[in-house]
Amino acid sequence: MQALFQAFGLNGSLILAQAVNFGIVLFALTYFLYKPINKVLEARQNKVAQGVEDAERAAEKLAQADTMASEKVSTAETEAEGIMTSARETAAAERARILKEAELRAANVAADAEARAHEASEKMFRESEKEVARLAMLAAEKILKKSSV
Amino acid sequence: MKTIHVDLKAAVLGHVFGLPITNSLLMTWVVMAILILFAFFFGRNLKMVPGKLQAGIEMAISGAYDYIAVTLENDTLAKRFFPLIASIFLFVFASNELEFFPGVGSIGFFQNGVLTPILRAPTADLNLTLALAFISFFTIEITGLATLGLFNYTSKYVNLKSPVGFAVGIIELISNLGRLISFSFRLFGNIFAGEVMILVASFFLPYFLPVPLMAFEMFVGLIQAIVFAMLTLFFIKLAIAQPHESHH
Repeated sequence: MQALFQAFGLNGSLILAQAVNFGIVLFALTYFLYKPINKVLEARQNKVAQGVEDAERAAEKLAQADTMASEKVSTAETEAEGIMTSARETAAAERARILKEAELRAANVAADAEARAHEASEKMFRESEKEVARLAMLAAEKILKKSSV
Repeated sequence: MKTIHVDLKAAVLGHVFGLPITNSLLMTWVVMAILILFAFFFGRNLKMVPGKLQAGIEMAISGAYDYIAVTLENDTLAKRFFPLIASIFLFVFASNELEFFPGVGSIGFFQNGVLTPILRAPTADLNLTLALAFISFFTIEITGLATLGLFNYTSKYVNLKSPVGFAVGIIELISNLGRLISFSFRLFGNIFAGEVMILVASFFLPYFLPVPLMAFEMFVGLIQAIVFAMLTLFFIKLAIAQPHESHH
């Protein structure tokens, strides 16, 4: 056994030293390499998960916005239709009212004109009557004058 | 006259406080320095949007972690053992591959006409592989004990219910202890044999043969690093498995 150890140069303190060396390597690699890498990997994983979540949320929001927009458009359409019909109704009513008023006014004007014409003709008639009476008196005078001569 | 000189053990360059400083211990420090410096500067400059290097390393690490979690079927255990398994792989891998850098094994001084290199692959020294085997072994056994409890865990090895069960328990116990040897000698043997093979090849055909052999040995180095880490993982998985109830 001793010869075997001698042949391979085995030495207890060397074995211990090499074990300690490996321990140092293990410690150093753990703190300088594995842990930082693990940290970076985890951080990146979290970031990716966050990104995916954000994207999902954004898509959801977009879908929501879409439905909201289409809802708004449809309500706007119905509203616009309502406004149009009411406007049309108002316009028709207004037209009727204006027409009626115009007719009324026209009728008034016509009646007025007729009355005025009637009055004028009456006046003329009265005047002509007076004239006729005057002329008749003049003629009678002339006749009286002639017969007295 | 040139000869091939093969050293089964690492050369002692000097002593510090009674600790023999071998060329493989020196190389271990170089490997440690490279790994720790890389980890330090890489870990400090991590970015949310990764470059190519960061993306690659992140992918490797998260892939290894996922594999460990799938194998252990438990996230807590995966978190606990990932650093150990990943570090075993990186440490063994770096040790195996840095062996092929120019200067390792070739820069040294002559002692009695033989070149004593200043740097030697750490994994081509049984001291390091045995140290790793001990770490792996104790991690496995302690995990089994802590997960299953003392009585439940020892019942895997000391089974007095039936003679067959007793024999199986003893075999299990011996094979568990044998892991110390298989872990350490597998890694040591592979890397050391690769070194010897390249040494012999460069002795006979120095300009052509060593290159493909080195490429192959780099591949072997990768495989051995994976094997060491994976076996640790699988043995942990075995250790935390419930003991089989009565197989009649």
